[in-house]
Amino acid sequence: MLFENMSMAFSAIRVNKMRSFLTMLGIIIGIGAVISIVSIGDTMRSLFADLYKDVGVTQAYLCVGYWIDDRRMSDYFTLDDLERVREVFGDSVTYIDSAASTGAEAVNKKTKVNFDFTGIDYNYIDVQPVDMVYGRYLNEGDVLGRKKSVVMDVDSAMLLFGMENAVGQTFRTELYGNVDEFTVVGVYKKEMSPFQALMMGGRSDRGSAFIPYTLLTWPNDYFYYLRLFASEDVELNEFFDQLKAYVANIKGRNPEDMYMETAMEQMNSVDTVMGGLSAAVGGIAAISLLVGGIGIMNIMLVSVTERTREIGIRKSLGAKTRDILIQFLTESAILSACGGIIGILIGVGLVSGIGMAFGIGAVIRPSVVVLAVSFSAAVGVFFGLYPASKAAKADPIDALRYE
Amino acid sequence: MAEELIRLKDLVKIYDTGAIKVLGLKRINLTINRGEFVAIMGKSGSGKSTLMNILGCLDRPSMGHYYLDGIDVASMTPNQLSEIRNKKIGFVFQSFNLISRTSALKNVELPMTYARVGKKARRERALKLLDRVGLLSRAQHQPNELSGGQRQRVAIARALANEPPLILADEPTGNLDTAASEEIMGLFSDLHKEGATVVVVTHEENIAEFTDRIIRFQDGLVISDETRGGEGSAV
Repeated sequence: MLFENMSMAFSAIRVNKMRSFLTMLGIIIGIGAVISIVSIGDTMRSLFADLYKDVGVTQAYLCVGYWIDDRRMSDYFTLDDLERVREVFGDSVTYIDSAASTGAEAVNKKTKVNFDFTGIDYNYIDVQPVDMVYGRYLNEGDVLGRKKSVVMDVDSAMLLFGMENAVGQTFRTELYGNVDEFTVVGVYKKEMSPFQALMMGGRSDRGSAFIPYTLLTWPNDYFYYLRLFASEDVELNEFFDQLKAYVANIKGRNPEDMYMETAMEQMNSVDTVMGGLSAAVGGIAAISLLVGGIGIMNIMLVSVTERTREIGIRKSLGAKTRDILIQFLTESAILSACGGIIGILIGVGLVSGIGMAFGIGAVIRPSVVVLAVSFSAAVGVFFGLYPASKAAKADPIDALRYE
Repeated sequence: MAEELIRLKDLVKIYDTGAIKVLGLKRINLTINRGEFVAIMGKSGSGKSTLMNILGCLDRPSMGHYYLDGIDVASMTPNQLSEIRNKKIGFVFQSFNLISRTSALKNVELPMTYARVGKKARRERALKLLDRVGLLSRAQHQPNELSGGQRQRVAIARALANEPPLILADEPTGNLDTAASEEIMGLFSDLHKEGATVVVVTHEENIAEFTDRIIRFQDGLVISDETRGGEGSAV
């Protein structure tokens, strides 16, 4: 019976092709919009997730709160503090440094390039992997010996030296008032998606390089921030709370006086914003589904009236109330679901197209697609209910007499 | 001798139009036996259409009883009446009432679909019935591709689908020319000879002449009921 109803529904839809299509249009636009918006939201979230994965999701910055008025010398961190944290938290901390960075002009003969120098420990490559193409990464000797060694990326090497393999090249720069000569020990390459490059601000006129963080502990080995990467295995919230409490304790501060920023929190807030945005725009799109549903109800009412005589014939041949009800419900559900499927194809096509144009892998969740089809069918059933029950209740004599 | 198929007992139908009540049928008592070929005649407004609707279980009597095949259908619900129509009655209408844009075959299958007959059995029987009315070659044609007479033959095939005990034809030749009318009435005669009970509602004497018994209606009452043996002694 279900099969008969479906085949009847399809032939009824085929008979009025144009009308059926126009009726579906509301649903097509609604579902297309919902799918596009949700997928764009999902794609953005996944892009940000990738971005943060790159930055390191376990990364955190910690310092004494900037809002504290009675600033003390002990609020600053020392290399000893780093050592203590490392000892106390052991394997939970995979990397720790002073989060030091500075901008300065690097000079190679007549070439002057503005550089961002980031102070790192020798094992930074473990938490932020890069591909070394020439030379070596910074080693323990560079860091402990405060050697003026530099590792830079291929693009920066090109800027400053006009060649990729800049190993052994030197340049002069001024850090904290001292002009020194630095030697390039390694050149790396980092693969970035166009989106990452965009977000990370890959400015082509500025160089960037890693130097030992021990060179940037100004003044006199004091620094304001701790930067660390937690191990992937620890429960982050708990770990960060413990860390905050410990650091507050050694600094003679209350945990609430400490300021902590974690990549995870940022990621969550981006997620929340994106999620909220998707929900809001999705909600507006859902209104078009409602309008589409009303369109279906309208056309089904017309269809029921037009086919009054057919309903009468069917009833005279033994169709029960339920048979007629199901026949028309099936028709409106199929009408609506067809609109939904076309809408999905359009939505998915649109999002994939945009993704392809920007070189981004579009994220289309199958659950969203399934939900959209079911929802559109449900819209059809809901808005078909009234016309179908009107049809089912028709009196066979009146219906047979209808011209 | 014969087994009764239809018995109307003190049957009354009142139309309540709000302001006035109109008596459509006034205490009708009537019996039709299995295997009879009956014409119900009367002018418009005589009550024959009302009777037709009640006999066809499309409408319910206001008072009295209607026994069809031994079942009192007077107090049945609309869904029960649907079931009775499906199993016990085969309708043939003046305006054919085939479902448009649907093949002859599908039209004949329809009553069996509502009787939940399996797809294969349904198709086989529908083809056999179309063969019976001489339209096997037109099985896939849609109603608008058939002549009036052909359409009515499809309707007759459809009426026979669930092997109902009663064939009820309402002015079956009203929209047909003389040749097609005779063809259709010939088909009814054949069905009658094969043992079917056929009731034809008509206002045309020459159509009524095909039957064995003519019941005349006027003002909601039976005014004459004559059974004829074989050939017509026309009134």
